Amino acid sequence: MIPVESETSTKNGIKIIYVAKENILQYLKEKKDEGFDTLLMISGVDYKDHLEVLYHLLSSSSNTHLIVKTKTNDEVDSVTSLWKGADWHERETWDLVGIKFKNHPNLKRILLADGWVGHPLRKDYPMDKKQYVNLGEDGEDRVSYEKTEGY
Amino acid sequence: MEDRVIEVNFGPQHPSTHGVLRIKVKLDGEIIVDAQPVIGYLHRNAEKLAEMGSYPKGLVYIDRLDYVSALNMELGYVLAVENLMDVQVPERAQWIRMLMVELNREASHLIWLGTHGLDMGMLTPFFYCFRERERILRILDEITGSRLLYNYFAIGGVYSDVTAKSLEMIKAWTDDFVLKLEEIQSILGKSYIYVSRTKGVGVLTADDVLSYGVTGPMQRASGIKRDLRKNSPYLFYDQINFDVPSRTEGDVYARFLVRIEEMRQSAKIVAQVLEKIPQGEFYNKKYSKPMLVRLKTTGESYVPTESPKGEYGIHIIGDGSSIPYRVRIRSPSFANLSSLPTMLKGYKIADLTAAVSSIDPVFGEVDR
Amino acid sequence: MSDNILVTSLDEALKWGTGKSLWPFTFGLACCAIEMMSAMGSDYDWARFGSDIFRDSPRHSDLMIVSGTVTKKMAPRVRRLYDQMAFPKFVISMGACASAGGPYVRGYSVVDGVDQVVPVDVYVYGCPPRPEALIQALKMLQDRIVSGKVKH
Repeated sequence: MIPVESETSTKNGIKIIYVAKENILQYLKEKKDEGFDTLLMISGVDYKDHLEVLYHLLSSSSNTHLIVKTKTNDEVDSVTSLWKGADWHERETWDLVGIKFKNHPNLKRILLADGWVGHPLRKDYPMDKKQYVNLGEDGEDRVSYEKTEGY
Repeated sequence: MEDRVIEVNFGPQHPSTHGVLRIKVKLDGEIIVDAQPVIGYLHRNAEKLAEMGSYPKGLVYIDRLDYVSALNMELGYVLAVENLMDVQVPERAQWIRMLMVELNREASHLIWLGTHGLDMGMLTPFFYCFRERERILRILDEITGSRLLYNYFAIGGVYSDVTAKSLEMIKAWTDDFVLKLEEIQSILGKSYIYVSRTKGVGVLTADDVLSYGVTGPMQRASGIKRDLRKNSPYLFYDQINFDVPSRTEGDVYARFLVRIEEMRQSAKIVAQVLEKIPQGEFYNKKYSKPMLVRLKTTGESYVPTESPKGEYGIHIIGDGSSIPYRVRIRSPSFANLSSLPTMLKGYKIADLTAAVSSIDPVFGEVDR
Repeated sequence: MSDNILVTSLDEALKWGTGKSLWPFTFGLACCAIEMMSAMGSDYDWARFGSDIFRDSPRHSDLMIVSGTVTKKMAPRVRRLYDQMAFPKFVISMGACASAGGPYVRGYSVVDGVDQVVPVDVYVYGCPPRPEALIQALKMLQDRIVSGKVKH
């Protein structure tokens, strides 16, 4: 049994469980064996002093939801070995919140252009500093801070 | 053998990508070896913008997620916010919400059916579907004043009451929609070409479905009978009598049948709601418009709802101010689309459009 | 009869013909694309106004309807598609997002107006515009083509 750090719930009664980040892969594996067979989404929240990763699990047989959270500063273990769908969700969390996932097969930006600077859903992301995208010779994206370099 | 594999780029502009999807396809002759979707061409920073304004303001961006079923998107948001703030919603408002959501689900499925026909090389279903869809839009237009993006659900109710005229319009629509649906279904379902191009194509097994987090009609076409309206009812779905269609084949044809049957069930729900809709307030008077902007809350909430594409919900975290701290959208199309490589591997290049359109991706929601 | 008169009247005939046989480009970006489909669908049927077939390739078409939000990642692609279209070519910017960034203008990944990417002939307001508005834009574009007031 993996120790649980603390337990709360959302307003409508979905359980929220905090687990230490070293144990997250083991804990989710345990939960998957218990019947939480679907990973609905992975998301990240920036709390200024730390980052949190949220895993929304669902047991499709009993139709119960469960939210597992872990606190981190930069990286956690990837869960792509448990659910194939975790691939895109982790890429998105890396792209927008800037949480690294250890042992992810293909951790690169998914929604923003390759080469984008910063992670927009961080609270300290500079919204007034615009970035511009253009196509390079090879057909891939180029990002720059110069307005003349792109759109 | 390796040098026989060629890479073909598909999109982001292509008539059958349903928006701005790009797929990097690796081909060995006609066989798809690998297909990797590239997304993000419609990333409109909805989550960031929702964190920059008050709670009711976020509804603008939520509306534009799945733009073909905007009311379903709004429902997830208002339910989450109401849950977070303990807002009481009058009974009539909840019944109106159900009515509108089901009408919008029909409109969404009709768009899917029309464009699916286009992708399979048939122009006729497109015109038939749009004819029926325009009828629904006229009803929604009459009630909300808008055709596509409504901004109709408010925190604490809905913005305007349904009129007697609109109820009559809905009644007339329910009476003959099922017959029209029969007609549309027979164009596709009785076509030998359509059936042979879709049967056994783009198969997803039940294991794949669970592993990718695929939900909605795609999940039900693969043998997992799960519909949030039935399994964990919200609004008053527990007082309504309807079936959840499901198939076990998991191919494109099964998804077609499931969606068609869902449209029939939605029409059934609409007819029942019309009979049961009570009189009363359509709006909680405590939450008038100027009040809404000043609403403050703390805590977390995630209310899952069944959108036409699958399980949709919004995880809202409040920090005690009048602006949400974090709005995270669980978008069904995103997870559904991520299963595309598995769906396509080993099939012919001509099956690609069938498989992509059977997912029914809407890019406002995939890229957010 | 001097050469000049013959040339100008041929020109007029050409403009009239161009205006009445626009081939739009199937290019849906976002929400507005659904209303664009409605405009070509059964109820509104904009083939009535001479703009008949939606072409799937930019090389076949002469009217680009930018229907929806242009993101920074998409903008270079929009430009490339525009460059691939043959002359004469026209652009309708449909909806608030394509015209000025719309509700997303404060964000980090949206271009504030497609006119920064391609020259626009007619702007349509609305979020999304109703199909009637798009049809009006088409009529306006046809008038402009006939009177020669179009950008390239």
